[in-house]
Amino acid sequence: MITYAARRLLSCLPLLWIILTLVFLLVEAVPGDPFSLEPGPAVSRGSAAAMNEAFGTGRSFGIRYVEWLGRFVRGDLGVSYSLRRPVLGLVAESAWNTCRLASLALVLQFVVGLAAGLAAVARRGSWVDRAIVAASSFLYAIPSYWLALVLIWIFSVRLGWLPASQMSSLEAASWGGPERFFDAARHLLLPCLSMTLPAAAGLTLYVRETLADVMTRGFIRTARSRGAGDGRILVRHGLSGAMLPLLNLLGMALPGLVGGSAVIEVVHAWPGMGRLAYQSVLAHDQPLILGCVWAAAMLVLAGSLLADLTSAMLDPRVRESTG
Amino acid sequence: MSSPGRRGGRAGLLILAVIFGMAMAARWISPMPPDLQEDVAGGRFLPPLTRAHLLPVGQHRTWLVTSMRRIEGGWEVTRGGAAATVQDSELSGAPEARFYLLGTDGLGRDMASRLLHGARHSFGIAFICVALASVVGAGVGAASALSGGWPDALMMRGVDAVASVPRLLVFFVCAALTNPSTVLLVLVLSATTWMRLARLVRAEVMAIKHSDLALAALAAGCSRLRLAMRHLLPAAGPVIAVTATLRLADTVLLESAISFLGLGSPSPSVSLGEIMSAGREGLWGATSASWVIVWPGLLIGIVVAALRSATSGLLAAAEPPPV
Repeated sequence: MITYAARRLLSCLPLLWIILTLVFLLVEAVPGDPFSLEPGPAVSRGSAAAMNEAFGTGRSFGIRYVEWLGRFVRGDLGVSYSLRRPVLGLVAESAWNTCRLASLALVLQFVVGLAAGLAAVARRGSWVDRAIVAASSFLYAIPSYWLALVLIWIFSVRLGWLPASQMSSLEAASWGGPERFFDAARHLLLPCLSMTLPAAAGLTLYVRETLADVMTRGFIRTARSRGAGDGRILVRHGLSGAMLPLLNLLGMALPGLVGGSAVIEVVHAWPGMGRLAYQSVLAHDQPLILGCVWAAAMLVLAGSLLADLTSAMLDPRVRESTG
Repeated sequence: MSSPGRRGGRAGLLILAVIFGMAMAARWISPMPPDLQEDVAGGRFLPPLTRAHLLPVGQHRTWLVTSMRRIEGGWEVTRGGAAATVQDSELSGAPEARFYLLGTDGLGRDMASRLLHGARHSFGIAFICVALASVVGAGVGAASALSGGWPDALMMRGVDAVASVPRLLVFFVCAALTNPSTVLLVLVLSATTWMRLARLVRAEVMAIKHSDLALAALAAGCSRLRLAMRHLLPAAGPVIAVTATLRLADTVLLESAISFLGLGSPSPSVSLGEIMSAGREGLWGATSASWVIVWPGLLIGIVVAALRSATSGLLAAAEPPPV
């Protein structure tokens, strides 16, 4: 198991290197230096040169490439052009906010998706099944930010129950602990819902398909002939047979959550990584957007690594075949 | 007897044909030009199914009124929710009837016309991107499978690296480094769409490249290029069709998210995402005009769901019928 983990970890390195090199080449492919745009009439050529010197953008191609790799390996992501703060701090701060939102959404989507999928399979062909399939097909097809807007319209505009944006109320800093927590939870609810529902819908459809497939296998018939009850067969035998592809899917869902949360974060003004990346796009802030991509790539690698390791842990065949 | 998959697939194809047909015919069937603002104050956020009259007032102005009542020497009208009067002497022509099936947006533009043009733009872009991506994906997949050895390994590593970063983030990087434009949108969307297709085509070609079919073709003096084009790629046809349809659904969603964020095609062109983003302000006002965001999102949802059910129809059609 440890050899497999080490091997799998090492195989990430070339991938990381390819991503970093691609991003570097992309940046280099853009004509001009970053400060050729910035100086207006008030900024002289000399100060542009000084900026180039300070940010290290004036050196030769090869040196910059090596420096680029070195900096990323050390975790030094440079200084944001627009916010004039170290990128690493900005990314870490917003990554934490995204993680709070995304991890909750991830757990919820798994619970809701699994429960709905199981319910659909248990009552296969009935109106429950059909209703679940119809609702999930719809929720899975709509844009998630559209759902966010509709939820805002219903719960914030019409009913006035929940706040539409931000992580906490303006005056929250002066409140006591329990009230602050309640306030934060209220702010978390809508963005979390609009992230969870479409993903859970996709998962529901997937669980239903996979489980229906598993339920036709021989070992299910065997279990039934031994007299196991319907619920037990579904959960004990069916679900454990479908668990592996599900866990794989979950690992793959991690980058999707980071990428997919961007628009939701913008709609709900949630100060997370997606919104940071979006703001850096609007500000043409190169170091910041590259820092965001770097962090996202790390998350992607971590996600696929996590998925592979858990499936290796659960299924000896996986570590035998590749390890 | 047709299976539910086939029936759903046929319904999906029918819906797609109707919607795509209407979108492509937008120029001829839309009731008004999509950016026509006849009276911003009078036509702001009119609800669906509004009947209105367009009054030419004075030399160059027009008033859009939702009710007209004859009074002594003129008309008592409702314009933008407020009562006003127009003297007969002010009118410079006969009133024209207006009918807004889906309402108007914040600038008094007809939603039905905007929706048609937006659909044409958004679905057109997604279609072009997927078509480009299919050609590239099939080409790379087939080349990779036929070359084998280290070129194959290198190509597939590259595919993994590009596929691992969330597509929206890739677009963010490119948009931060340059400026948003339709060309950028098409390039980046196609460049991030072809990888999964390449993998699947490669697997398909790998499976049959040593088959009797391929051997017979080679024995008959067929060149490798001809072998790929005439014998191997057609065999991968169903895989390409199914994947391309699924990718079309993803790409419609992604394009709408990008244009929702204002990073899509610049202003004069109308896209579904941009309509929704402009409709956000309408949610909060006294009118609480939800229709501006509801229609485009629903349209996207219907198209995406139809594309997915068409895919399952394609899969059902590709499978041999149960005996």
